[in-house]
Amino acid sequence: MSDDPGTPPPADEPVDTAGEQATDPSRRTFLIRSIAAIGGGITAAVGIPAAVFVTGSARAATTGEDWIRLGSASSVEPGAAPVLMKAVVSRRTGYLVEEQEVSVFVTTTDGVEFSVLSNICTHLGCRVRWVEDQSGFFCPCHNAVFGPDGGVLTGPPPRPLDKFEVMVEEGQLYFKEL
Amino acid sequence: MSSRVGNWLDERTGWKGNWTAVFLRKIPKVNWAYTLGSATLFAMVIQIVTGILLTIYYVPEPTQAYASVTYITNELSFGWLIRGLHHWGASAMVALVILHMLRVIFYGAYKYPREVTWITGVVLLLLTFAFGFTGYLLPWDQRAYWATVVGTEIGAVPPIIGGFIKDLMLGGPEISGITLSRFFGAHVWVLPIVLLALVGIHLYLVIRNGISAPPKRGE
Repeated sequence: MSDDPGTPPPADEPVDTAGEQATDPSRRTFLIRSIAAIGGGITAAVGIPAAVFVTGSARAATTGEDWIRLGSASSVEPGAAPVLMKAVVSRRTGYLVEEQEVSVFVTTTDGVEFSVLSNICTHLGCRVRWVEDQSGFFCPCHNAVFGPDGGVLTGPPPRPLDKFEVMVEEGQLYFKEL
Repeated sequence: MSSRVGNWLDERTGWKGNWTAVFLRKIPKVNWAYTLGSATLFAMVIQIVTGILLTIYYVPEPTQAYASVTYITNELSFGWLIRGLHHWGASAMVALVILHMLRVIFYGAYKYPREVTWITGVVLLLLTFAFGFTGYLLPWDQRAYWATVVGTEIGAVPPIIGGFIKDLMLGGPEISGITLSRFFGAHVWVLPIVLLALVGIHLYLVIRNGISAPPKRGE
């Protein structure tokens, strides 16, 4: 009993003489962590809404348009070169409603079934034009050529020209954007 | 890991010495009134961040200004928050900068050797008012219009040059698209650049000269 040397106090127990030095770092650590936590909270409170805000108008759906009227179906002759037909659509972006002209190539083999192809090159978005000599759609930006059905003949485009849904009603051609 | 990166950078940039000088500097025993400068700085940061965000959608053009502000406020997700922060943050910043100045006056903190800090501070106060004045026109509504009429008429008060000062502010004889454009340009380019330069000098001087202790009775 008496010969028990007694365990020394654990090292992490505060000792009176070291008290002043021991409390100061913990107070400092606490304050640094508090500042970091509050600062992080404020940054998140502004940063997350900011990210939603910046992407806001991009996330708003602007498509879902109805059928777009192109014009008389009789202006496209069976077997002839594709006809570039234009339509004006109004597009709403945010608070702006803008009239925009869209162009598509229309072909038909029998005058009953029509095919509406986008005139936008699938490579990098330049506008293609019909070149009679090559009987294909030519893109001036990188010399791509698409066949009459829109398939890629030469050049860098990754996929054929976009094909739109088409409808003929009372002799009028309509198409629907993708 | 992070301390190794820190040491690597410190060896090449000496950032630790600057960090200590800026954030770990010795200050006298002070009270909460001494946080007003930092609070103003915080309000400024909020104004910069929300202001930059607003410019992404705001269009400073007579037919679109009001429509774009309405779109930001009512349609864009969190647009009400970003604009609200900018709107109320502006008032908060004006209030804080005035309180900060009053603290400096009452504690005599503008005295030697801190006169230059005080002078830059006064200019910063005026710049804050200029921000408030130019920003007020941007929503392009009735309140904005008439506030600018009143503000520019005040500019017309001085004799001889008053009329020219007013025309200079408006960019012509009356409020027009040109006025909106120049107020926007002042609000997002001219004033921020001057403000940031002066804030830099102001903070450098605060750190260089240290902050003054609250005066004791009889001082």
